[in-house]
Amino acid sequence: MLKPDADGRLLDYDVMVVGAGVAGMETAASMGDMGYRVLLVDKNASVGGRAILLSKVFPTLDCASCIVTPKMASVSHHPNVQLMTYSEVDAIARNSDGSFAVELHKKASFVDFDACTGCGKCEEICTVAIPDEYNYGLVTRRAAHIAFPQAVPKKAVIQRRGEAPCTFTCPANVKASGYVSLVRAGRYKEAFALHLENAPLVGSLARACYAPCESDCTRGEKEGTVHIRAIKRFMVDRYYAEHPEPEYGPVENQLETRVAIVGSGPAGLSAAFYLARLGHQVTIFEAEREAGGMLRTAIPAYRLPKDVVDRDIKNVTALGVEIRTGHRVTSLPELKRQGFDAVLITTGASDENSLDIEGRDLDGVVGCMQFLHDVNVGKLPDVKNKTVMVIGGGNSAMDPARAAIRMGAGRVIINYRRGRQEMPAHDWEIRGAEEEGVELMLMSTPKRFIGKDGKLVAVECISMVLGAPDESGRRRPVPIEGSEKTVPADVAVLAIGLAPSTTDFPAEMKNGKGLLVANPQTLQTADPDVFACGDCVTAPTMIINAVAQGRRAAFYIDRRLKGEPLDVPFDGVLDKTGKAAVLEEAKRFVERRPVPQPALPPDERRKTFECYEKAMSEAEARQEAQRCMNCAECSQCMECVSVCAPKCIDFAQKPTPLSLNVGAVVVSTGFKILDPATKELLGYGRFPDVISGPQMDRLLAPTRPYNAVLRPSDGKEPERIAIILCVGSRDETVCNPLCCRIGCMYAIKQAQLAMGALPMAEITIYMIDVRAFGKGYNEFYEQAKDMGIEFVKGKVARIEQLANGNLALHYEDMLGEGGRKIREHDLVVLTVGFLPNTDVFSLYKGGELAADDFGYVREVDPISEPARTNVDGLFVAGTTIGVMDIPDTVLHSGAAATQAAAYLERSGGRQ
Amino acid sequence: MSESRTQLRDMLDIAQDEMVMRDRIADLLEQGPKTIPELAEILGCPSREVMVWLFGMRRYGLVEGIGRAGADGYFQYELMKRP
Repeated sequence: MLKPDADGRLLDYDVMVVGAGVAGMETAASMGDMGYRVLLVDKNASVGGRAILLSKVFPTLDCASCIVTPKMASVSHHPNVQLMTYSEVDAIARNSDGSFAVELHKKASFVDFDACTGCGKCEEICTVAIPDEYNYGLVTRRAAHIAFPQAVPKKAVIQRRGEAPCTFTCPANVKASGYVSLVRAGRYKEAFALHLENAPLVGSLARACYAPCESDCTRGEKEGTVHIRAIKRFMVDRYYAEHPEPEYGPVENQLETRVAIVGSGPAGLSAAFYLARLGHQVTIFEAEREAGGMLRTAIPAYRLPKDVVDRDIKNVTALGVEIRTGHRVTSLPELKRQGFDAVLITTGASDENSLDIEGRDLDGVVGCMQFLHDVNVGKLPDVKNKTVMVIGGGNSAMDPARAAIRMGAGRVIINYRRGRQEMPAHDWEIRGAEEEGVELMLMSTPKRFIGKDGKLVAVECISMVLGAPDESGRRRPVPIEGSEKTVPADVAVLAIGLAPSTTDFPAEMKNGKGLLVANPQTLQTADPDVFACGDCVTAPTMIINAVAQGRRAAFYIDRRLKGEPLDVPFDGVLDKTGKAAVLEEAKRFVERRPVPQPALPPDERRKTFECYEKAMSEAEARQEAQRCMNCAECSQCMECVSVCAPKCIDFAQKPTPLSLNVGAVVVSTGFKILDPATKELLGYGRFPDVISGPQMDRLLAPTRPYNAVLRPSDGKEPERIAIILCVGSRDETVCNPLCCRIGCMYAIKQAQLAMGALPMAEITIYMIDVRAFGKGYNEFYEQAKDMGIEFVKGKVARIEQLANGNLALHYEDMLGEGGRKIREHDLVVLTVGFLPNTDVFSLYKGGELAADDFGYVREVDPISEPARTNVDGLFVAGTTIGVMDIPDTVLHSGAAATQAAAYLERSGGRQ
Repeated sequence: MSESRTQLRDMLDIAQDEMVMRDRIADLLEQGPKTIPELAEILGCPSREVMVWLFGMRRYGLVEGIGRAGADGYFQYELMKRP
C-alpha cells in the first residue's frame, strides 16, 4: 500500500510523460491545463525533441522555432508541469492499487542548474571538441555545452564518461587528461596551475615520476601510450623559464594554527604546500643541509637536476612555509611544547636493509643510499676505471649503476638473483642502463665479499635457480651448490631494499617492520594531533604516492585543526572510464605514432650527469597531446570552473536516483533515424558531400552550423543539388518496409528552401512517387514544380565520386527515355527512413508492452481508442506508434492526454 | 581528383585536432581573409577537415564569413579574435 505524503497525497504526480518532443510537450501541457500534476521527463539537456532542430515545417514553411519554442516555454513555465531534463527513466512497475512506481535518475550534469545562468562562458573556454549531435555531426561542440541556442532549460551540461584512465590511475589524481588537453590548446600556464592543484612538485615529477598515468593510457592499446610525462616536461620547463619565481605569495587569510612537518621530501613538501594554501603556519624540519629529501639525495642529477628541485621547493616556500634544514627532530613532545598544534611525520624510507654476509664491512662495500647521497651532494665516490658491482634488481639498483658509468667506472655489473623478467626495475630503466654499458649478471647472488688489506677486491657469487613460489607468489631463487665463482670488484653497492627512517620515534608508534602506524584514510596516528604519511608509513614507493599522501594528510590535518570531523571522504572521483567504448570509436581513427622524446644518445649519456631526456619543442608537445583520445570526454582541465561567475560547476556531482509514484504514464519517446551508411552504395560516410536529410535541415536552419548553405567537403555553395527519396524506407533490404510518411514533403520543403537560399542552383528530387496526402500537401508539391525543382521518377542505385570531386548518380529513368542514366551533382541529400525507438519496451517491468509488426508501440484500437496500449494506464503519444507529421503528432498527443485523463478519472488516480 | 575531397576521416578524430589547428588557422587569417580551399592548401589538410575546425571557431565568434560567396562559390573568412 502506498503511504500518503505530508500533504496527504499518495502520488507524487498524476501522470508522468516520458520524452519531451512535440508529443510529450503537447500531452504534458494539455494535461496540465486540465489541472493534472504532470512530470515531464527527457533524457536530453533540453526539451524540444527533433522538431526544434528543423529549419521550417511543411507545407506552410513556418519557422520551426516559432512553432516549437512556445511549446517549450509552455511546459517550462506551466504551474502544473514539473520538467525534469537530463534525466532517464529506468523502470516503470505497477503498484498494487493500480498506480505506477517509477525509478528514474537525474544524470550528473556537473552543473548546478539552479545557479547556471546559461551564459555559455564554460563552452567558449572548454578545451575538448566533440562532434555536435544537435547538428548531426556537421560541426563540433564542446564537452561543456548548452545543447542549442533555443534550449529549454538553457543550462550548460558537461559531458563526462567518468575519470580518464590516466587521471584515475594517478595516486595523486593529477589531472593528466586535463593538462594534456590544456597543452593541446596552447594554454601552458593554465596547465601548470592545474597540476599545482594536485601536486606542487611539477618539475620533479616531470623528470622522475614513473608515470603510472602512461601505463594506463588507452592509446597504449593502439600505437603506443601518450608520452604524458614528456608533455608535462615541456609544460613545466616553459613555465619555469618564464617564471623563475612563483607568481603568488602567502594567502591573505592567515590562520593562527601552527603545523610542524618532520622531513622535507615529496610528502612533507606537498603537505606543507596545501596546508599553507589553507592559511596554516607551516614549519618543515629537515635533518639534511638542504631540503628535498629523496629528490635531493637519492635521485641522480641525470634524471632530476637539482635546480629543478630548488624551483619546485619555491612553489612551497612562496606560500610562507619555513624550512629549517640541519634540524633533526628527535622528540615529538618537544614540538608540541614549541606551540605546534599538529605534527606531520614524513621522514621517508632511506635507511638501508643490510646484507649479512662475510666481508660486509670491507672498505668499498656501501649501501646504495649512501652511494647516491655522496654522488648528489658532490662527494663523488672514486670509481674511475674501477669495477662496480651493484647488488639488486630494483629501480634503486639502476641509479647507482648508471651513476657509476657516468663517473668513469671501468665496468659496472648489476648482480640480481632472479632473471630479467623478474627484475622489479622498470624495463625502460633496465634498457637505459644496458644502453649505457651496464652488464647484467642474472640468476646470481653474492656469497661473500673478498678483501685484501681491508679493501674489497672481489665478490664471490653463486648461481641461482628459480624454485617453488614463495608466499608472495614469486618463485624463490635457490642456490646451485658448487656454482660459486669469483668476480673481481672494487666497489659493491647494496641495493637490496630500503627501510623506514623511523628510528627517532617511539616503538609504540611503529609496527613490526618499523613503519609508522597511521589510519589509512586520515593518516592520523594514535596521537590525534600527530599524523604520518609517505614512505615511513607505506614503505618505499613512488614519488607520486608520497605527494598524494601529503595532500591527503593536509586535508585531514586542516579538518582536525578546524575542529571538523575526519570521517569524510578525501577525493570524490568517478569510476574509471571503460576503455572498450573508446577503443571501439578509435577503430575509425587514423594512426598516430608517438612523437619520439628527444634524448642524448647512450655514448653521450655515459659522459655526463646532464639530464639525458630533453624537453619536447612546443610543436612536438602539442602534436603528442593531440594523440590523447579524450577517453572521459571532459578532460577536467577546469577552465570552465575558472570562468564560471555563478560558481555553478560541481565535478563531484553524482547521478541522483529517484523513486516516484504516478497515477498514469504516457510514453512519447519518438523514433530513431536510420543510419544512411547502411545504404553503402549511396556513399554516405565515404563522400563528404553525401549528407542525410536531417543534416540538410540543419544547413537550412537559421541556427545553421555554417554561414550559408555550403557543401561539407570544401565550403563551396552547391550548384547542382540532388535529393533522393525513400533511402531506407519502403526498403526490405534494411528491414524497413514502411513508408516514412514525411519524407516526400520534408524533401520538397528542403528543395524550396534551398532554392530560396541558392537561387541559381539546380535542384532535382529523385523519387519513386510523391505521397502528398495531407491538407495542402499536393499544392506544396505543385508549387515546387512551378519553382523549377525537377522531379525525376527513378530509383538511385549507386553514387560515385568523379575526378572533379562531384558526385555521379546512377539511376533508373522510369518516365523519360527509360534505362540506366548517370547525372552529376555537387551535393546529394539522402531522405532517410525512420525506425522505431525500441528503448521504450524496456521501461515497463510489469509485463510486456505490446509492439506492432514494425516494432512501434501497438495501440489497442487506433480507431476507437487511440493512444491506449495493452497496459492499462500506460498510454502512448506521437511518433512512438509510427512516424507522422507535426500536425498529426499534435492531434495524437491530444488523444493521449484525453485518454490518460479519462483513465485517471475512472481509476480515482487523480490526487 | 583533388586529395582534399576524397579522404574522409572520422569526425571524432578530426575534432581531436581542433584545438591545435584553430591556432594555425588563426595565424593564417591574421595575415588576411582566406577561403577554405586556400587554408587547406597552406595547411596541407583536406578541405573537409578545415571546414570542421573553421566552423568550430565560427561557432564561438573567432571567425566570420565575409559578405557573399565569390564567383567561384567560396566565401572568404576573417579572424574576429584569436582563440
